[in-house]
Amino acid sequence: MIKDEFIKRSPLRILEESIHGGLGRGNIGVLASRKGVGKTACLVQIATDKLFQQKPVIHVSYSSRVDHIIGWYEDMFREIAGRLNLESTAEVHDDLIKNRVIMNFNQEGTRAEQVMRSLEAMITHGKFAAETIIVDGYNFLHSLPGDLQKFKDFAGNMGLEVWFSASLKGEEPLFDEAGLPNELKPQLDEIDVLITLRFRDNRVKLEVVKDRGYPPAGELKIGLDPATLLIARS
Amino acid sequence: MIQDIKRLRNIGISAHIDSGKTTLTERVLFYCKKIHRMHEVKGKDGVGATMDSMELEKERGITISSAATNVSWLDHTINIIDTPGHVDFTIEVERALRVLDGAVLVLCSVGGVQSQTLTVDRQLKRYQVPCLAFINKLDRSGADPFKVTAQLKEKLGRNAVLMQIPIGLEGRFEGLIDLVSMKAAYFDGSQGEVVRWEEIPQESKTEATKWREAMLNAVSLFSDELTEAILSGREPEDLIIKAVRKGTLTRELTPVFIGSAYKNKGIQLLLDAVVRYLPNPAEVENFALNLDDGKKINLQPDPKAEPVALAFKLEDGPYGQLTYIRVYQGKIATGTELINSRSGQDFRVGRLVRMHADSMEEIDEAAAGNIAALFGIECLSGDTFVGRSVNLAMSSIRVPEPVISLAVSPADNKSADNLAKALKRFTKEDPTFRSYVDPESRQTIIQGMGELHLDVYLERMKREYRVSLETGMPEVAYRESISRPAGFDYTHKKQTGGAGQYGRVIGSIEPLADKNYEFVNEVKGGRIPREFIPACDKGFQAALRKGKLIGFPIVGVKIRLIDGQSHAVDSSDLAFQAAAQGAFWQAYEKAGPQILEPIMKLSVEGPTEFVGNIFASINQRRGLIISSVEDGLFARVDAEVPLSEMFAYSTVLRSLTQGKAEFTMEFLKYSKVPAFIAGKLIAENQGRHKG
Repeated sequence: MIKDEFIKRSPLRILEESIHGGLGRGNIGVLASRKGVGKTACLVQIATDKLFQQKPVIHVSYSSRVDHIIGWYEDMFREIAGRLNLESTAEVHDDLIKNRVIMNFNQEGTRAEQVMRSLEAMITHGKFAAETIIVDGYNFLHSLPGDLQKFKDFAGNMGLEVWFSASLKGEEPLFDEAGLPNELKPQLDEIDVLITLRFRDNRVKLEVVKDRGYPPAGELKIGLDPATLLIARS
Repeated sequence: MIQDIKRLRNIGISAHIDSGKTTLTERVLFYCKKIHRMHEVKGKDGVGATMDSMELEKERGITISSAATNVSWLDHTINIIDTPGHVDFTIEVERALRVLDGAVLVLCSVGGVQSQTLTVDRQLKRYQVPCLAFINKLDRSGADPFKVTAQLKEKLGRNAVLMQIPIGLEGRFEGLIDLVSMKAAYFDGSQGEVVRWEEIPQESKTEATKWREAMLNAVSLFSDELTEAILSGREPEDLIIKAVRKGTLTRELTPVFIGSAYKNKGIQLLLDAVVRYLPNPAEVENFALNLDDGKKINLQPDPKAEPVALAFKLEDGPYGQLTYIRVYQGKIATGTELINSRSGQDFRVGRLVRMHADSMEEIDEAAAGNIAALFGIECLSGDTFVGRSVNLAMSSIRVPEPVISLAVSPADNKSADNLAKALKRFTKEDPTFRSYVDPESRQTIIQGMGELHLDVYLERMKREYRVSLETGMPEVAYRESISRPAGFDYTHKKQTGGAGQYGRVIGSIEPLADKNYEFVNEVKGGRIPREFIPACDKGFQAALRKGKLIGFPIVGVKIRLIDGQSHAVDSSDLAFQAAAQGAFWQAYEKAGPQILEPIMKLSVEGPTEFVGNIFASINQRRGLIISSVEDGLFARVDAEVPLSEMFAYSTVLRSLTQGKAEFTMEFLKYSKVPAFIAGKLIAENQGRHKG
């Protein structure tokens, strides 16, 4: 089936290999870059890849309205479906949607505990067996000390892998010599996998700068196509 | 009576059920001197509100929720058009919205943007209605007009700009500061009827300056003249008003007004704003469809043009059957000859009236832009009336198919008579409400767009027609369909003695998206004589009326008739009808028949502490949660849920959330029923036929 072929050949397999088989349950991954480089596009593709594998995903958003996020997924799906020549596109699309829930929070009005309570309610009461949580628009600078640790504990207890995006807002230089974003250093201990997105040579390149205890893989052989924002082999 | 069209406003007051629309409407009528005493609406809760206001009207002999009420303010005529609150009445709401040129979107200053506000907002946007926002209930504890204005921006994506700020709030709400004139307004007199203008109190000056600046910033985008004036240090009032008006008319700006209808504060200023900022009928484009060539035509609000009017509401009032019309083009006078462009019937206008809250006024004519009512006209709600030389229809309003039905049986003969009368009227007024007599059970079946929709009519039958009824369980309007193409080759043959019957049809059936039925004739060389083709079509359609799985209509089928055979003597219309039916059932079995059920779009809103219960309640109903939005204390959950699982949901939700959550629901689509449910439905259907 074409769908299986797509999963096998997806450039996300390269990402998985370079971080030792994927993020994995109980772990926190972060995609960091300046605003507008393509973090949301990346997160949505990580989620869509899971959805193609029929694995449920909860997309938590702190900023955008729900219809904007749905728009992202629709755009990405259209791009992917267009390339794949999928048979029965509508059916595949409906199948994907069944495994996706979007939860939108206002970070100022909602404490991290409340977010986790609602996530747990969705998983247990809503019987939504998510393995992957995508968290977009979370403000690391304004988060309370210890919040990320709470998310990490939550991920461990519930058996989830959690991907965050972190918008870097500081002064240049944003990164140190090892490529680590300076403003995320206070939270580095809680972050298991850290990937940066940087615009170089007309392409957005992905670079693994932290990978648990392993030596990080560095610049990956995949990047974002600036036209479609699809992750592709460089 | 031809009035200056510039001094005319046709507006609607759109609101979430509990935001105080009835009270507000009543205050508007009072200040426009249409009623002489004010009353309160008390002790009402969600669903009951519509009823309450009807009862209220009866008690007082006035009509505040009449289809259109005519009032005057500042030398302007304002027609207030009623927009029913609940989504179950979609067609009524949409028809009312067609007729409006502008709207006041009422919000509660505590509850803010709620699920129903979203629905109303969506409808206003769909019909491109310019609107003002009014944040009501500033006297309530927890009132926060600033927060609600922010919600208008964030949740509804409106460019909302505060035009006033409050002096005091909650229990100490005293008056308003008008940011255009930079004066404070207080409402004196026992019923707030005297507006007293004062200087802005010292302690509010900084605040007022800050908000005025924000207002000017937003508003100046709509006027270069104003921007220039501001840059040269002037801020002329008339330019500000002009700019706000321009932004409002292009729907790029939503000016926000505030007050408390209950405490009689702010209403007169809201009326001023309606006159100032909302469009007159000549400033809105209206289109009609030319039935001769299918082209869209822009209607001209010129009283000399051929008349075009839309019947937007029928009402069986104390004065007999009334047809409310809006005139879009030309004028209509007593004696004018009109044609109903749907039925082709012509008639002469007899009595023409204008409705006020407490009376009715006979008028001689109504020109473009006006709203009037006709007596004794045979028509359906939604019909277009035109003059002799044009053949137009106000663009067709799509009528959704009903999704739920209920068997009703009257308790006695008197009730049976009254039931017939009630059904005749309701089905005429509301095309989404239907009724028929089931030929098998001989029961009267009523159909509608949701449980609440039917409930309201049942209640009205009881109250208004004194019908005593027994009702069955509500039933979902399932459909049957096919999932793959299949061929047929069927011969209908009866040639044993007497006049024979013979017909043979060959072809295929295939799934069809977005359409119920299509018939394609590809027979060549007269293998089926041309005169029998319509009989084949008719035969297929007859088969589609009742599916073999569970006895519901079959939809989404394309029939391709390719070949066949006939007999010189024995072929007939009847024979080919029978052949087509037989052929259809032959193919149906092979075409992967399946059951479809109506899926509703559900939106539940309540305190965040209950989200777990809300998630669970949706999950237990085979629902698909699309999203949840949490904003501090409030959460909204959007989902898609099969209608068959939603009976009595309001009771369940109330008990799960201590009555603190509410929901709205509307029809979304038909979807395939999961196999285990389909099996159950088929078994039930077979049981019914055996038993």
